[in-house]
Amino acid sequence: MLRSPAEVAQRLLSGEVAAGARAIRWLDDRDPRGAEVLAAIYPHTGRAQVVGVTGPPGAGKSTLTDALVAEWRRRGQRVGVIAVDPSSPFTGGAILGDRVRMSRHALDPGVFIRSLGTRGQAGGLSRSTQDACLIFDAMGYDIIIVETVGVGQDEIDVVNLAHTTVIVAVPGLGDEIQAVKAGLMEAGDVFVVNKADRDGYDATQRQMELMLHLRAQAVADLRWDVPLLRAVAAKGEGAPAIVDAIAAHREFLDREGDFAQRSHLRAREQVLALVRDALAMRALDLSGDGILQQVEMRRLDPYAAADRILATLANESAAA
Amino acid sequence: MTTFKRPLRVLLAKLGMDTHTVGVTVIGHALREAGMEVIFTGLKQTPEMVCAAAIQEDVDVVGISTLSAGHTRSLPKLARLLREAGAGDKLLVAGGVVPEEDKPLLEEAGVDRIFTMGSDTRDIVAYLQSWWAQRLAEDAA
Repeated sequence: MLRSPAEVAQRLLSGEVAAGARAIRWLDDRDPRGAEVLAAIYPHTGRAQVVGVTGPPGAGKSTLTDALVAEWRRRGQRVGVIAVDPSSPFTGGAILGDRVRMSRHALDPGVFIRSLGTRGQAGGLSRSTQDACLIFDAMGYDIIIVETVGVGQDEIDVVNLAHTTVIVAVPGLGDEIQAVKAGLMEAGDVFVVNKADRDGYDATQRQMELMLHLRAQAVADLRWDVPLLRAVAAKGEGAPAIVDAIAAHREFLDREGDFAQRSHLRAREQVLALVRDALAMRALDLSGDGILQQVEMRRLDPYAAADRILATLANESAAA
Repeated sequence: MTTFKRPLRVLLAKLGMDTHTVGVTVIGHALREAGMEVIFTGLKQTPEMVCAAAIQEDVDVVGISTLSAGHTRSLPKLARLLREAGAGDKLLVAGGVVPEEDKPLLEEAGVDRIFTMGSDTRDIVAYLQSWWAQRLAEDAA
């Protein structure tokens, strides 16, 4: 039952959900079979638009994602959703609850929803999120939504991964700007104030408009005018206009050559991350626990320990 | 070689029309504390919806909370759907209000284990962990 990478790759390319799901599991578990599948399917990727949906906890990201999926389905697009929730840094366990808000799409063959735990990764995503995007892309989904964990101020890794980033804000999270701090404000391509039927909407909307205005002024050659939209996602209000804005952004990216450029950046980020991971692991394997113990006992400082490990790595590659 | 622990992935769902979520929520938190990844699907699920979610999420275990009868129809149906979808190797566990006399029928239909009212969460965790250890050993062999 779906144990061979060659079979999984071939079956997911023909769109089989179970095969795609198994490939994502292998990649998420760092099972070496995942890398084999990825090698086989990689030439078939690069077509889908990856849309990041991010914002503070409680902004309604899952509900908005559900509304966007419904709207894209009305337009005949096939949609993959990757919903990331935090893993416990202590036990590794996680409660992944984003599907609950997307239950109405459960039996739609044009929608594939996958939940991922962050598994120790900071930045609002899991290490495997990019891999899951590639699998959905190879399976032929037109739009891939990446819903991040609820983010604070600088957990904006999704920007490096998505072609289009949607920032979801919400009225009434205390100090308005606190909810959407500088990092998030700089990141978005489309802004949404969700729960717009709540008290405080006007104030939040004005604050966001001001921030976006200041951001636009700081850019010498403004090519994309960032839209600020309102939504009441729980009632489906606002979804058509948001999908229009995301489609317009895709056209902009294609027209300006930015789609290719963002894909290039994504590739770079992923390769760098893999190299970093592998090097760090190799270095720790080489040095063993001894060097860490010396740091612990204050016989060696952390910088000197890092230098020593790097020297060991350099010697190893020189010998090879 | 540094290796990574494969966490056990568990789908928790409620079949049927009732809205009693306390049991399934408590189980979910107990499993999370034990280091498992728990995926909730929400209320009022049909066997078809649970089967589709189990495949998309590629979970190892499907846990069903049933408190409103109907389980003698819905659980065998879910077991059959999973088998037909090529996912018969997933562990299917049920919990909640299941009369003793229904157990043979459910076990016959492919429900691997039934935890009735009063079950200790520690027993459920231990059962899943020992099943998972065995599965991992089989995979490695």
